[in-house]
Amino acid sequence: MAECRVEAPGPTLVPTPETGVGGGSGREATNNNPLARKLNKILETRLDSDKDMLEALKALSVFFTENSLRTRRNLRGDIERRSLSINEEFVRVFKEVKEELEGVHEDVQAMSACCQDMTSRLKLAKDQTQDLITKTTKLQSENQRLEIRAEVANAFLSKFQLTADELNILRGPREGPVTEDFFKALGKVKQIHNDVKILLRTNQQTAGLEIMEQMALLQETSYEKLYRWAQAECRTLTQESCDISPAQAQAMEALQDRPVLYNYILDEFGTARRSAVVRGFIDALTRGGPGGTPRPIEMHSHDPLRYVGDMLAWLHQAAASEKEHLEVLLKLVTMQGVQDNIQQVVGHITEGVCRPLKVRIEQVIVAEPGAVLLYKLSNLLKFYHHTISGIVGNCAATLLTTIEEMHVLSKKMFFNSLGLHASKLMDKVELPPPDLGPTTALNHTLSLLREVLSCHDSSVVPLDARQADFVQVLSCIMDPLLQLCTVSASNLDTADMATYMVNSLYMMKTTLSLFEFTDKRLEMLQFQIEAHLDTLINEQASFVLTRAGLSYIYNSVQQHKPEQGPLSSLPNMDGGSLKAAMVQFDRYLASPDSLLMPQLNFILSGTLKEKIFKRSTELVCGAYSNIYTAVINPTNEYKEPATILQRSPQQVQTLLS
Amino acid sequence: MDEDILTTLKILIIGESGVGKSSLLLRFTDDTFDPELAATIGVDFKVKTIAVDGNKAKLAIWDTAGQERFRTLTPSYYRGAQGVILVYDVTRRETFVKLENWLNELETYCTRNDIVKMLVGNKIDKENREVDRNEGLKFARKHSMLFIESSAKTRDGVQCAFEELVEKIIQTPGLWESESQNSRLRLSDSPDANSGGSCGGYCSLL
Repeated sequence: MAECRVEAPGPTLVPTPETGVGGGSGREATNNNPLARKLNKILETRLDSDKDMLEALKALSVFFTENSLRTRRNLRGDIERRSLSINEEFVRVFKEVKEELEGVHEDVQAMSACCQDMTSRLKLAKDQTQDLITKTTKLQSENQRLEIRAEVANAFLSKFQLTADELNILRGPREGPVTEDFFKALGKVKQIHNDVKILLRTNQQTAGLEIMEQMALLQETSYEKLYRWAQAECRTLTQESCDISPAQAQAMEALQDRPVLYNYILDEFGTARRSAVVRGFIDALTRGGPGGTPRPIEMHSHDPLRYVGDMLAWLHQAAASEKEHLEVLLKLVTMQGVQDNIQQVVGHITEGVCRPLKVRIEQVIVAEPGAVLLYKLSNLLKFYHHTISGIVGNCAATLLTTIEEMHVLSKKMFFNSLGLHASKLMDKVELPPPDLGPTTALNHTLSLLREVLSCHDSSVVPLDARQADFVQVLSCIMDPLLQLCTVSASNLDTADMATYMVNSLYMMKTTLSLFEFTDKRLEMLQFQIEAHLDTLINEQASFVLTRAGLSYIYNSVQQHKPEQGPLSSLPNMDGGSLKAAMVQFDRYLASPDSLLMPQLNFILSGTLKEKIFKRSTELVCGAYSNIYTAVINPTNEYKEPATILQRSPQQVQTLLS
Repeated sequence: MDEDILTTLKILIIGESGVGKSSLLLRFTDDTFDPELAATIGVDFKVKTIAVDGNKAKLAIWDTAGQERFRTLTPSYYRGAQGVILVYDVTRRETFVKLENWLNELETYCTRNDIVKMLVGNKIDKENREVDRNEGLKFARKHSMLFIESSAKTRDGVQCAFEELVEKIIQTPGLWESESQNSRLRLSDSPDANSGGSCGGYCSLL
């Protein structure tokens, strides 16, 4: 039977006393009544708040569908049956779970046993291998130590020794080619040799010394190999144009540490190029270029300037090219004196052409091509001496001395030629021409002088040398010329000679005044001209005085001495003669130009002619003055001097100016 | 032998005094400019390697003096030249007019007919131009020359001029010889061929 639990509080369905069953005591009475008690209990149940009751009722309603007496009676049994079946179900399911759990339990047991087994085995193994492990650890640390040592050893080797390849390259076959690698290896050897000095400062002196020795030996063999190679290379440089490979330049850079070898190689180079240059020169002279163009230089041997110029230009170009080759060869060399080396070698290279050059130039010079050409040649040679010495320097290159020799020779021949010309002048002395002008010999010589002096303009010889030249040329020509003039005029009378000399000197002066450095000579010539001018002035004055009838009178006046007595008493000096003379003089005063010496017409220079005329006229005035003074002078006892000499000196001067 | 260098070429620069020949050369070889550059005495020589169309050529450049007094000297240097640069000054007309003379001299002394000529009008950086570009071009065409205007001061056209010249020379067959060829030619040179050639030359003189 389902007992209803009774809950205590809550508003109880306590019947009120009015309804009631009984009052307070009635209550107690009700409580004592089991039925009442049960009823109260039931009434007191609060179904709403009793969760359990609610749950139970809910469960009940699930299977209790029919509400009959039988079902009510069977309820308990049903409930118990249900309970039983639930439990059975539970047991069954739980059995499964239990079985599973047991399975898991077994597995875990097995695993546990396994682990146990492994642990024990491991323990065993560990014990056994304990030895092995310690050994291995020891070996590993040893290995590390050895590796470090190996690294150090390698570093040492790479720093202080050469690799096998490098050794091979350096020691390789003697005649093998020399490459970039060779120079790298050689550089390394030098480097090592230097670095090894560090070792010597530490305790590793044996190693240091050994390595040094080793490297030194290696260096020697390498240098020898390099030298042989460079030598062979140089010997192949026999074409006209040669290309210097970078390897050769590097070889020279390396060899600069061995001056003897370095110089030998330069010698070889010089020798090879020397024969190439000589061959090239001869070819250029005789055969020209390939296929006939450009034409051989000797084709122009008839034109001395072009011939010599072409040869020297070729040599200049060859020398410049050789210098450039050497500069490429030695561009990596850093020691002092490289420029000197280059110049010396170029000098050596160009030595070979000296002989053929000298022979040909000598031929040209000795063939006496004439003074002007010889002079031009000597200038040309001087110019090239200057230009080529820019390439071969100031050292005594044979080419330079050869050119200098030729220069001196041509100069000498030139002066010889001039001297010859001058002496020929003297051999055949011409008489002055009727117009008292310069002789053909003079004109010829002056034109020669002009030619010679004007080609001086193209010279690049320095100023003081040119001045010396000029002086020599002038003295070579001018002195004989002056002599010539004087000699040829020796048979002439005073006026003629003076005229001729003035003309000739004037020609010389005008020729020389065009050129530089002639001041001294011009001065001298001017003095000489003045001297002859004086002569002419005097002559002209006498001419006038004679034609004007005053010469005798003037002479008398000049020579009059007081002990001779008064002037008027001298023969032909009386007033009458004087008057007659004045008539003549007046005629002269009317047209002074009519009394001109014929020689004056031959004077070439208008200015000089003017000068003579003017100065002689002055002399005439002066003479008249003297006469006038003498006549006016009372001691000379001239009666009425004013009638004799109507004009005063001033008037005369005015008339004649 | 350096395999890179294809050939060595000889170039000549000629023209009136003061047109800028030496300046052009200096600009080309050293890339510098000196407004106070003195007049050249005789002849000047410079070397430069130039790369054109992938070929390297070594140029031996001879710069001649323009002054009158060196006129008899300079023709000797024409010998064997493969390229000639004639220079005039665009601001001085007389230098352009004188070109005719220079060309005549070139004709007389130059030893080969196929020499490559180039006309260069220099100093285009200056004002007061007296010679037109067209005039220069016409002249160049008339004489089958290359033409370019340049300024050594500003660098304009200088590199171009030399490059073009070298290109033209290399393109002209027979004008130059490759370095490696040279040695072979020498070996195969027979005396007969040469004497034949020079004989022909001699006859043409007559």
